[in-house]
Amino acid sequence: MPIKSDLAKRNKDLFSRQPPTWCPGCGLYGILEALKRAAVSLELEPAEIVVVTGIGCHGRFPNYFLSYGFHGLHGRVVPVASGIKMVNPKLKVIGISGDGDAYSIGLNHLLHAARRNSNILIIVPNNRVFALTQGQASPTSPRGFVSISTPFGTVETPLDGLKLALGAGATFIARGFSGEVDHLVSLFKAGLSHSGFALIDVLSPCITYNKINTYDWYKKRIEILPSTEEVANDKEQAWRWLNREDRFVLGILYMEVRDSFEQLILSDSKRAIAHLELHPEKEKVFRLMEKFI
Amino acid sequence: MKIEAIKRAEAIDVSILIGGKAGDGVLFTGNILARLLKRYGWWAVTYRDFPSNIRGEGTQYVIRASLEPIENCREGVDIFLAFDCEAIKKHAPRLNKGALLLCDGADAAILPTSVSSEVVAIAFPLRQPAKEKFGKELYKNMMAIGALSYLLGLEVNPLEDIVRELFFEKKGEAVVETNLKAVYLGYELGQKLIPKNKRWFLPRFTDNRRMILMGDEAVALGALAAGCRFFAAYPICPASEIWQWLAPRIKDFGGVVVQVEDELAALNMAIGAAYAGARAMTATSGPGASLMMEAFSLAGMIETPVVIAHVQRVGPSTGLPTKTQQGDLLQWIFGAHGEFPRIVLAPGSIEECFTFTVSAFNLAEKLQGPVVILLDLDLGQNLRTTHFPLAQDWIIDRGKLLSADEVAKNKEYKRYLITEDGISPRTFPGISGGIHLVESVEHGENGLRSEDPEIRKKMMEKRMRKLLSIAPNLIPPIIFGPPEAEIAVIGVGSTKGPILEALKFLREEGIQAKFFQVRTLWPFPTREVSEFLQGTRQLVIVENNYTGQLLTLLQSQVCFSPNLKVEGLRKYLPDNFTPEEIYRGLKQLCQ
Repeated sequence: MPIKSDLAKRNKDLFSRQPPTWCPGCGLYGILEALKRAAVSLELEPAEIVVVTGIGCHGRFPNYFLSYGFHGLHGRVVPVASGIKMVNPKLKVIGISGDGDAYSIGLNHLLHAARRNSNILIIVPNNRVFALTQGQASPTSPRGFVSISTPFGTVETPLDGLKLALGAGATFIARGFSGEVDHLVSLFKAGLSHSGFALIDVLSPCITYNKINTYDWYKKRIEILPSTEEVANDKEQAWRWLNREDRFVLGILYMEVRDSFEQLILSDSKRAIAHLELHPEKEKVFRLMEKFI
Repeated sequence: MKIEAIKRAEAIDVSILIGGKAGDGVLFTGNILARLLKRYGWWAVTYRDFPSNIRGEGTQYVIRASLEPIENCREGVDIFLAFDCEAIKKHAPRLNKGALLLCDGADAAILPTSVSSEVVAIAFPLRQPAKEKFGKELYKNMMAIGALSYLLGLEVNPLEDIVRELFFEKKGEAVVETNLKAVYLGYELGQKLIPKNKRWFLPRFTDNRRMILMGDEAVALGALAAGCRFFAAYPICPASEIWQWLAPRIKDFGGVVVQVEDELAALNMAIGAAYAGARAMTATSGPGASLMMEAFSLAGMIETPVVIAHVQRVGPSTGLPTKTQQGDLLQWIFGAHGEFPRIVLAPGSIEECFTFTVSAFNLAEKLQGPVVILLDLDLGQNLRTTHFPLAQDWIIDRGKLLSADEVAKNKEYKRYLITEDGISPRTFPGISGGIHLVESVEHGENGLRSEDPEIRKKMMEKRMRKLLSIAPNLIPPIIFGPPEAEIAVIGVGSTKGPILEALKFLREEGIQAKFFQVRTLWPFPTREVSEFLQGTRQLVIVENNYTGQLLTLLQSQVCFSPNLKVEGLRKYLPDNFTPEEIYRGLKQLCQ
């Protein structure tokens, strides 16, 4: 375990690497702030956290959040995060993957990680648009969304990653809003403390390319569940919340206790494969070779 | 070559073909026979030719045994056991003079006219008696093994051991007994039906502790020996054997095998595990390799060591998934976007499958980048006899890896520190003082993204310099034959065996030839090839593909002398070269 830092310095600056350069007003600021506060509150150390990001504006996250960081490929946040967690279960592995990253190019991985119950937290800053590539429609763009790639408006039905994850067997799903940072802190804390696959979809306005789903637009349409502590293991309730057409229900929508993939598949889920001392182990290897005689 | 000239009692080389339909148990029967011959102290190798189908289509399995070390099967067949008559039509032309054909079927032994009159064909009922005696046709396979044991003059004791090893633990004594009964029934039928003058009497030798295994298994053993403790893969023929062999065994070494949703996940997950500190690997074939290219480039950019085993099959696209080819030789060398250092190793024998895999992990960590072990189906899935153990000694070299204490001493850790050899000291997440970012975007020494042209230049040079720095650690080529030989041959991978045997045939005729086995395919051994070609007038590149990929590579990396006559000997049929084909090809090209 990393050495605990000086308690006096335990504020969110402990997790600051560089000042962010996202567009002023971007929803990612709220997510960054909330994750720092959640990490401080849980007394985590930067050295025991790994943040994995994909491609998109969210990808810059590790440039601003101080911890171990992995800025990989578009859509491959989940397998990288799972690989890290499997060989070192002591790490807190957080994947940050945009709506394009998680729900379009990388959707397959998300569902399989949910099915496995990989012990990782995936945060999806959901701005409902491909922003870094200058404003194309994303899988979560509202129907009729006019963009440079959809000049006549989208005709596809937007998808909800949380519904898919629920169906795929995720043990923790939650929705937050970048404009409700305190609430987001509570969700991140719960997600980081959850043993198993946690998916948090964060409604996150893009002030440059999405002029529809703005802070004000969301503020009129969100409903925050009263408590994040007592969550029923109730899929039907979760489904009803997810299907509300008039409101975005924010909070932990479903939580279940189930053995994580790492607990089930590793011979010792407390020992880090990553830190095994490697030796040629000739005797053992020779014994295996003997089977071919 | 001229098997008919050798008295059977002194036979030193015998080839047996088992033909039937997928689902007949041809593979099972052949595997047991190969193991039996190996226990008899012979060098046994197999060649499997299977459809990409579980049941119904034609399959063949060739087992060759020799008193001398061999790496491959031959064209000619001395004994042909056919489970159905269709197989006969297809393979009868391969029968050597004096060969014996056993056919299970009512209208057996109607031979096509092209077959030599010196072939003896007999009806040999297997299915019918199996059904009558044991209630299941399945037992025809054990009966066939009994009959072949009689025909080859093999004692049954080692066979009993093999049957026991195969069935006892999983199925118990009763199943062992029934199978042995089937073996004896086959043996007795042999006594009754096989002409006495057609029998072989293979002498038994001490086994000398040899192993019989496939290349995929040797790669898996190599991975364990090298300290590979994380393996992620998606099912694909002909690479699945690697991780399926590892899956139940890696736990004893503290590791884990994960079957993932696709090849994109497989390589990305392995890269994640490697970044976090494990020795990690994946395995695939052509279609999966195409999917892995993006992550391959990622490993190069973020400087993460990872090992990929690629067992080539016939392409393009789905191609012929169960047949061998060398059509992906250039895929990992020139594939993937951008330029980054990568290493491609190409073993040509079972032993090399093991030792190259161990080297691959050491090279990956020294390079801090991706290393590919490139096999083909012939090497990956066919059984070959080799010495025990596969290597006496091997080391684990983790390259520039900092201990936690060393990291702590660092004032400011820089993951991509610019060094003379280009290699930056590495550390893993979880270690205080080592916090860093690995970045797929171009970045500076501290891992933070940068579009500064000077930084781009320096980082590009740093990464590419690594390949030069580790050059002395690469696996050198092997040269066979006299340096002054008139004919020079270059090949890679599983063609090694047939090339060496073809060279032997030429030698018997007084023609000298030499062979350069490319073992590190990339970085290409330019200097070694140039030296090899000095004074040579005839060069033949032997490869199992249509376009001459190895030749293309050579042309791009070696400056040929204008006096050198360069020819390609290529085969893109869905099977490997036989030594006879290479022998004929070399004679024709080098007249």
